[in-house]
Amino acid sequence: MLLSELNDIKEKLIKEIEKSSNLKELNDVRINAFGKSGVITTVSKNMREVEPTERPKFGAMINEVRKTIEERLGKKTEEFEKEELNKRLKEEQIDITEPSKGLEIGAFHPITNVIDRLTDICVDMGFSVVEGPEIESDYYNFEAMNIPKNHPSRDMQDTFFITDEILLRSQTSAVQAREMEKRKPPFKIVCPGKTYRNDSDATHSPIFHQLEGLVVDENISMADLKSMLTILMKRLYGEETMIRFRPSFFPFTEPSIEVDVSCPNCHGKGCNICKGSGMLELLGAGVVNPKVLEISGIDSKKYRGFAFGFGLDRTAMILDSISNIKSLYKNDIRFLEQMR
Amino acid sequence: MKISYNWLKEFVNITMQPEDVAKRLTSAGMEVEEIIYQNEHLHDVVVGKILKIEKHPQADKLVVCQVDIGREITQIITAATNVFEGAVVPVSLPGADLVNGIKIQKSKLRGIESNGMFCSGEELGIDENYFDGAGVNGILILPNDMKIGENIDKALKLDDIVFDINITPNRADCMSVVGIAREVCALYGLDMKKINLSYDIDVYAKDTVRDYVNVNVTTPNCMRYMASAITNVKIEKSPLWMRARLNAVGIKPINTLVDITNYVLIEMGQPLHAFDEELIGGKQINVRQAKIGEKIEVLNHNTYNLDESIMVIADNQKPMVIAGVIGGTNSCINDNTKTCILESAIFDLKSIRITSRKIGVRTDSSARYSKGVNVANAEMGMLRALHLISKLKCGKIVRGLIDIASQKNETREITVSVKLINDILGLQISDKDMLKILNNLSIETTLMGDKMVCKIPPYREDLENDYDIAEEIIRLYGYDAYDNVNYELFKNSSVTEGHHHPRLLMERSFRNALVEHGFFENISYTLVPSDMADKLLLNDIRKNLIRIANPISDDISCMRTSMAHSMLSNIAYNISVGNRDIKIFECGRVYLTNTLPLTELPTEKNMIAIATLENKFDFYCMKGIIELLLDKTSLQYTIERSTQPFLHPGISADIIAEGKVIGSFGQIHPIVAKNYDLHDNVFYAEIDDDYLASLPAKKIEAKEISKYPIVERDLAVVVDENVTAKEMLETIKSSCGKLFYKVNIFDIYRNKNLGENKKSIAFNVKLSDMNKTLTDEEVNKVIQKILKSFEYKYGAVLR
Repeated sequence: MLLSELNDIKEKLIKEIEKSSNLKELNDVRINAFGKSGVITTVSKNMREVEPTERPKFGAMINEVRKTIEERLGKKTEEFEKEELNKRLKEEQIDITEPSKGLEIGAFHPITNVIDRLTDICVDMGFSVVEGPEIESDYYNFEAMNIPKNHPSRDMQDTFFITDEILLRSQTSAVQAREMEKRKPPFKIVCPGKTYRNDSDATHSPIFHQLEGLVVDENISMADLKSMLTILMKRLYGEETMIRFRPSFFPFTEPSIEVDVSCPNCHGKGCNICKGSGMLELLGAGVVNPKVLEISGIDSKKYRGFAFGFGLDRTAMILDSISNIKSLYKNDIRFLEQMR
Repeated sequence: MKISYNWLKEFVNITMQPEDVAKRLTSAGMEVEEIIYQNEHLHDVVVGKILKIEKHPQADKLVVCQVDIGREITQIITAATNVFEGAVVPVSLPGADLVNGIKIQKSKLRGIESNGMFCSGEELGIDENYFDGAGVNGILILPNDMKIGENIDKALKLDDIVFDINITPNRADCMSVVGIAREVCALYGLDMKKINLSYDIDVYAKDTVRDYVNVNVTTPNCMRYMASAITNVKIEKSPLWMRARLNAVGIKPINTLVDITNYVLIEMGQPLHAFDEELIGGKQINVRQAKIGEKIEVLNHNTYNLDESIMVIADNQKPMVIAGVIGGTNSCINDNTKTCILESAIFDLKSIRITSRKIGVRTDSSARYSKGVNVANAEMGMLRALHLISKLKCGKIVRGLIDIASQKNETREITVSVKLINDILGLQISDKDMLKILNNLSIETTLMGDKMVCKIPPYREDLENDYDIAEEIIRLYGYDAYDNVNYELFKNSSVTEGHHHPRLLMERSFRNALVEHGFFENISYTLVPSDMADKLLLNDIRKNLIRIANPISDDISCMRTSMAHSMLSNIAYNISVGNRDIKIFECGRVYLTNTLPLTELPTEKNMIAIATLENKFDFYCMKGIIELLLDKTSLQYTIERSTQPFLHPGISADIIAEGKVIGSFGQIHPIVAKNYDLHDNVFYAEIDDDYLASLPAKKIEAKEISKYPIVERDLAVVVDENVTAKEMLETIKSSCGKLFYKVNIFDIYRNKNLGENKKSIAFNVKLSDMNKTLTDEEVNKVIQKILKSFEYKYGAVLR
């Protein structure tokens, strides 16, 4: 056998590799070359017939051919595999617009959402979250809040009574005196919870939610109230939010104010949510009436406080664009699933 | 409260626009909720005179009128039958937009042009009480002396502007024209005009008020009682100016004397009462508490039984008036009254509130008395009434006034600190500004260093201390002072550490887990119907429903004692609107008491409740949810068959900790399901949140894990139905000893071929050793041990 023959074998195999059009044909070439009776196998076997002096040269040549063919085969295989993968990936394309499967999640109620957000902000500002009874004594709901029996300011609320002395709290302010009795100033508390009033129409629910805040310390002023509420409202409704004070009356604060918040929808320009005024009446607040401090045993010469209370139903309605207060208590899944 | 702008002008020199006044009042705490323009629907309506009336050539029922409207003669066609040549009538011209919605334009009626319409009283928004002829069914015929062409709002004094003001309970002194006038003066720095309180008496007459009436006050609830007598009473229609003012604020004009009492009530905030002197038995007025058994028929034609809590004005025989609330029919002025006794009194606000609530009558008088009328006001009211009586010439005022007062209300002095006021407000308002504001409020103030000495007028009973004065100052200084306050929060006070409420935090983690597993959070009314306990078959403390004394309706009349009511109602509601696959939960309270009626506050227990109505959801799914939640706590618990009356006894469990039931879950009892219009496949769970919150926080202690691989074996055995999964799992665990890692049940199978009351349970047992890889031999030994125990204990057979 001549070296040139060996070269021919190589050239022929290379041609066959190049000619093959799929993995199977390529495999045929491989068998044809390296199989039991493949050309290269045969040539290797026939080494004995080569002149001993020629053998090393010949052996080297065979190795070279083997290596080249294997490389070529490898390269071509890779090409075909890549081609095949590409083809498969193309074929396996799905309709990505078909609906998703599994992992149905529920949703929080919009009111607890608001409670979570507000209490988080208040805790950051040094307030502790407290709770109080909903079935409350006349004393804590009214008398300790500077609203004696048969006082004109009782007209401000329609209260649900259970007995002459026990009622459903008409305001979360009922926790103020309870906390003042329990704590020593300085303290800051907030109390979220249910409140009740004998009032039911398109814009009133007999059961609703309030968040009460109370700070008692030395040197507290109305300006602290302004700063605190500004931060709270900015964090709730966005950085551009501003608040404004208006005079009001509550027996347990003096001076008393209503706090208007710039409408988070139109930022004060006027829209249907704020009925064109650009502002929303959101909470009542004021400096704690010194009589209220004294009733609960806090020295009003030394300490001052401020208090605020606001309706969480309305806050939730504004944040989530809810138009009807009653839908908050129907628990209709069609409503709740929008809260996801 | 409605306040007439024209009336205000009587006491203040108002040159400002009403809208500006309204804005200033609102900014000072007198919220003007509405400005009502009385003539809103009276533009393009003028006084006209019908010059000539001719028949309409095409229509029998119409006439063609030539009408003088001042600037021109115009032609108007009408069907009205009460018009005549020379009649002065209101004429609405093209452009008019009447109160009943009629808009006037030029038109042709049967081919003839008509340039307007004659108006009835009703079309102008007035009635016979207001103006003679306004009540007739036809055109309002006006007096001949009216100025032709004048706008009708001017001609009929319907050009007032009315503020509807929300007066806060602390400012009873503002429940009058005079009160609001004082505020307007303070706001604009104006002086109040003098109120005319003068009246004529016949100086030659010998009689005095004592000749007509005597007054005896025996109750402390009457702080002042004034009486005067008017003889030769002449009752007529009041003049138009008076009727106009009363009409503007919604009070029906009746006659001079009645109108004067109402006028003084609105103007001065002083309720008055007029008696017919002849009907006062023994010429004696006794102001006293009523006696049990006494009765009175009052002006609303109801008769009330009285008792000692009710104060009355009585003569020697009978109660004549429920004091401060409503007069009786037996003694009030009437068309035959010759002599009138006029009362101006001050009653205790609490007494009037109690009476008004007790008999369920609220009048303009009781509304004022129950907010508090100042003692000094009685005299002002009396004198003003006498002035008006004198002015309208409706009687001869007898010399002398009876005035019995147990309380004198005088100017008080309080001392406040400029610095403290600024500290309260967090502002720097100068003492000069403070002085000016207080003096404008008629609080005569002098400055002594940091101190201000304030003379508080009698009607400002609400002002007692620095805080009250701070409010007066800031509401007049203007709250916009805060618009630009950018104050460092709590800069002069302490830093405090904020804490979340531990139970609320725990609930939050429960809520998160449930929402992630597809549950929707509910908030339900805690007020429930009175049949709640029956519907849930409750037979323990939860039967004691706490009832509201004044509920809106039975549906929301009691406090819930079980969350199950809310959850089942919510599922039923969702089904009714077509929702399917309902998974809901709520964190809420139940209200429990041992004794009814309540003598002390009940227990309010915080619960978390879960309910589902979903295909393929079963007891074990609910069990999984419960485990998911309880795993977040350090609770050590067992489960036992439940005794909850509203759960299916075979398919429910109680969660037991420290021997107490702290929760339950399972399928709804078929009867309860029916009571709520539900099918049986509703699952419910509840857990006592307060108990869980009382536990120490869960502490995680990680154990070393083996470096060597886990070996697992599956084994399925057939056992009797009554062998529980729990005991078999425990057997496996103890048989594995130290090699135990985990065991799961992956299949439970029931088939007749297994035999009667048999089930096949398949376990996946995982073993592990800390120190080596387990050999087959070691594993098989453990499995054999398990199977032997199974066979010995339960007669279990390997499948």
